[in-house]
Amino acid sequence: MIEIFVNDQSLHVNEGVLLIEALIQNRIDIPYFCYHEALGMDGNCRMCMVGIEGQKRPQIACDTIVKAGMRVHTTGERIEDVRRRILELELVNHPVDCPICDQAGECKLQDFYMDYGLYDSAVSKGEKVHGAKHVDLGANVMLDQERCVLCARCTRFTCNITKTHELGIIGRGDHARISTMPGRKLSNPYAMNVVDLCPVGALTSKDFRFAQRVWFLSSTPSVCHSCAKGCNIFIDHNAPKYQKERIYRFRPRRNDAVNGHFICDAGRLSYKSLNDHRLTCNNPDAMDRAKALIQAAHNIALLVDANLYCEQLDALVAFAQRIGAQLYCPNQCYYDEGFGDEWLRRPWRAANLAHINTLGITQSTPSEAHDLIISFNHPDLSSLTCKHKIAFSTHEGVEADVVLALRSWAEEAGTLINITA
Amino acid sequence: MFTFTPQNLQKIEALKSRYPSPNALALPLLWMVQEQEGTISLEAMEAAAPFCDLPPIELYRIATFYTMFKLAPTGRHHIQLCKTLSCALCGKAEILAHLQERLGIGVGEMTPDGRFSLEQVECLGSCGTAPVMQINDVNFENLTPKKIDEILKALS
Repeated sequence: MIEIFVNDQSLHVNEGVLLIEALIQNRIDIPYFCYHEALGMDGNCRMCMVGIEGQKRPQIACDTIVKAGMRVHTTGERIEDVRRRILELELVNHPVDCPICDQAGECKLQDFYMDYGLYDSAVSKGEKVHGAKHVDLGANVMLDQERCVLCARCTRFTCNITKTHELGIIGRGDHARISTMPGRKLSNPYAMNVVDLCPVGALTSKDFRFAQRVWFLSSTPSVCHSCAKGCNIFIDHNAPKYQKERIYRFRPRRNDAVNGHFICDAGRLSYKSLNDHRLTCNNPDAMDRAKALIQAAHNIALLVDANLYCEQLDALVAFAQRIGAQLYCPNQCYYDEGFGDEWLRRPWRAANLAHINTLGITQSTPSEAHDLIISFNHPDLSSLTCKHKIAFSTHEGVEADVVLALRSWAEEAGTLINITA
Repeated sequence: MFTFTPQNLQKIEALKSRYPSPNALALPLLWMVQEQEGTISLEAMEAAAPFCDLPPIELYRIATFYTMFKLAPTGRHHIQLCKTLSCALCGKAEILAHLQERLGIGVGEMTPDGRFSLEQVECLGSCGTAPVMQINDVNFENLTPKKIDEILKALS
């Protein structure tokens, strides 16, 4: 640890870290486009200028390594003037289309303009250099070349993280722009992360654009249930006027121990199934009929879904003991070998299989000796034959003697145990 | 299908030993493609990429960055008129107007028969003999409208 001084405040930081990292970790405001904690420094946007005592000119914080005793200033007339001028150049060819831009409300360009800009532009007021609008890059990603600030986060993501090399900056000067090779598409299972990485409205998600203004959304921290990895996410949801609460998108939530800054596209889009075809209200006599069926049954099988939370599974184990039922969680329906990869995707497509293992629940199909199957949202129920069935289900379309509505995982709180390997 | 000629393949082998990393071959490879085919097609970039151990998008970035790489076909006689200071002072505008009138095309265009294309470029390094133009690889100096007529006639 070494000591540095930022705006005369003493900070203890690790030796060898970048100044911008030290500032971000200590929550000191610093504007930047191109730096990203997952992608590292690039030094192209020049927004993170700071004053360092003993240095003639302002320096970029993302390309400065901290030194013991360094005295740094992130505020002051001179620094703010430099930032204002850099921002002015970033905005020369930027369209003023915030009212129709999906990034509005979570746009760094907007934020920084409000923080540091607020100028009358001194740069030519002539025709701007126009770029292509709504270019479909593939993988649900739309590009607006005019809005781009050329921070190269997206190209660095496809180059260094996915190593799929679809995107690049082509041309030069005013005409430099993001593009794929003509005729090729952005296509990798993590492509939609570039939408989150984009600090401005240049890359937007085809799935989310024009669906909702971001300031109407509430974000709830959660964990993706699309596979056993347990990537941390934010669920962005809202109840539009006269409508039920809907989920509009999943976004990755940083957790360095699990998923870092990213999630896969399949997980990101898995929110859709939580909105539609939901089973919502129970038949008033359903509980009584279920009770009668349980009392009349001699040999009960209790089928549990591997996406239930630990607390729910523990309660179901107790319930099974009480009614003398045998627990099952047939697991073949969760296995998709093609889905797994070396990074975030796991072939087991259920969130809590580890706890099913811990509880020692039988992971094969129930024998035909049972005269009643009670299913807690297990996907295999329809394919099993049994004299009587009771289904607790989150979604419609389940065939059973009695069907009861269950809250989805997004509507419950609980614990999951992931499989990281 | 684009393939390098055997001579170019030999050249590539010879060049490889000159650089510490095959990445450095990107520019020479693009030049070879252009010399061989006249233009650099996407197909050729894809074919050249493995030789320099780069993804095709990197070659595409380089090819779009440098104006001397041609991604679209040019005329058989590609006229490049210098627009930098010395030539501009010595009557480039008049030469350009004359060229456009004689060829019936604007800057960046090609005659319908594919014989001539016209482009303005930065300094051709011959300021002492301005105005200058280059047709393919040959410089023409001290241009006047009359001289242009003679040059074009000789090329017809």
